[in-house]
Amino acid sequence: MNVRVEDREYDGPAVDLTTESVTAAEVLAGVRGADGPVTVSCSKPGRVHDYVGVVREDSTLPTRAALAAAARSRGLSAPQDRQLTEAEERLAALDPPTVDLAERRTRVAATTGAETELRERVATLQGRVQARRETGAKSAEVEAELAEATRELSEAETERIAAEQSLARARARVRSARNVRRERLRLQDRVGNLRRAARRHLAERLHDAFADALAAMPGRATAGSTPGTVEGDETTAALAVARVATLEAPVVLDCRRFDDADEAVTRLDAPVVRL
Amino acid sequence: MLLVITYSQAARQTLRNVCTTHEESVVRRFGRAALFETTEFGAFVALRLRAKHGADVQVERTRPFNEFRAVPDAVREAATAYEERQHESTPYAKFAAGTEYPSPETMRQSEL
Repeated sequence: MNVRVEDREYDGPAVDLTTESVTAAEVLAGVRGADGPVTVSCSKPGRVHDYVGVVREDSTLPTRAALAAAARSRGLSAPQDRQLTEAEERLAALDPPTVDLAERRTRVAATTGAETELRERVATLQGRVQARRETGAKSAEVEAELAEATRELSEAETERIAAEQSLARARARVRSARNVRRERLRLQDRVGNLRRAARRHLAERLHDAFADALAAMPGRATAGSTPGTVEGDETTAALAVARVATLEAPVVLDCRRFDDADEAVTRLDAPVVRL
Repeated sequence: MLLVITYSQAARQTLRNVCTTHEESVVRRFGRAALFETTEFGAFVALRLRAKHGADVQVERTRPFNEFRAVPDAVREAATAYEERQHESTPYAKFAAGTEYPSPETMRQSEL
């Protein structure tokens, strides 16, 4: 590995940057190939690096996931892998269409409201025509109004029926779109379950190695009774994960657990940048 | 009641949270669905879910089911008679054949 800070260069698997004023985040960015104050040429960091790329004194660690990633870095696989890939592929291929019914519902509500109003108006006018006829008053004007309202009512009715039919058709389309959504949710759950099962399996495979590594690291932590759990200090757990993982990219050590960078490289069996 | 069904992990989680927070408006909880009371508040909760998760939330309004009002006598009687049949293995279509009980096909084509 080669590390450059301004015009100063550091070479080899054990790099000590204690005299530099750079942060762990800056070094990590360099390891990941981003531009910044620290330039690092090294192997591309793998998944396990997401968990133990930086180890600091107040580290928290999702132990099982980290251990599973460590197992993967050692080339281990889980019996769920094939099903997992299959489920993930099917999930990626699903693209449920979105059918928005809000506009159609609004139209049904509006046309129904208009129809009700007109129906009331027609009833009122019919009453008035009736009354005028009974008293012998002239009713031609009111009758014309009634004819007009009746015509409008019939139009409103037609509109309302059309709106309802359009909504009904769209609802049928939504129903089949929801089947796709239901399938997507089922696959998401399946992927989640398979991932958890795979992590559990992989953590189990490394359980003994992890317990040994925990005992060999500075700090107080022991392996929990279920694989992939730890009791005690999580910084120690992170160091132990780094120890059992196959790491090509350097671990950024932002904690004083080893005397120097060389000792850290030996104990972690990984390239190290010490801050 | 208002039936709210969710279709994504995020929507399902929000529904769970909402059910816990507004237990008094929840009539029944299922895995990824729940029945809310038909109050403005029930509607408010359902609409909030839909505002947040869009098409991943389905809201339907249910109606009480009165079989004596909504269902023809023949269908009700057929259901009771079929459950009292002598041979457990007789399919309904065969059971109904040649009797006054409606055929499955007839029932399928008749909306309530």
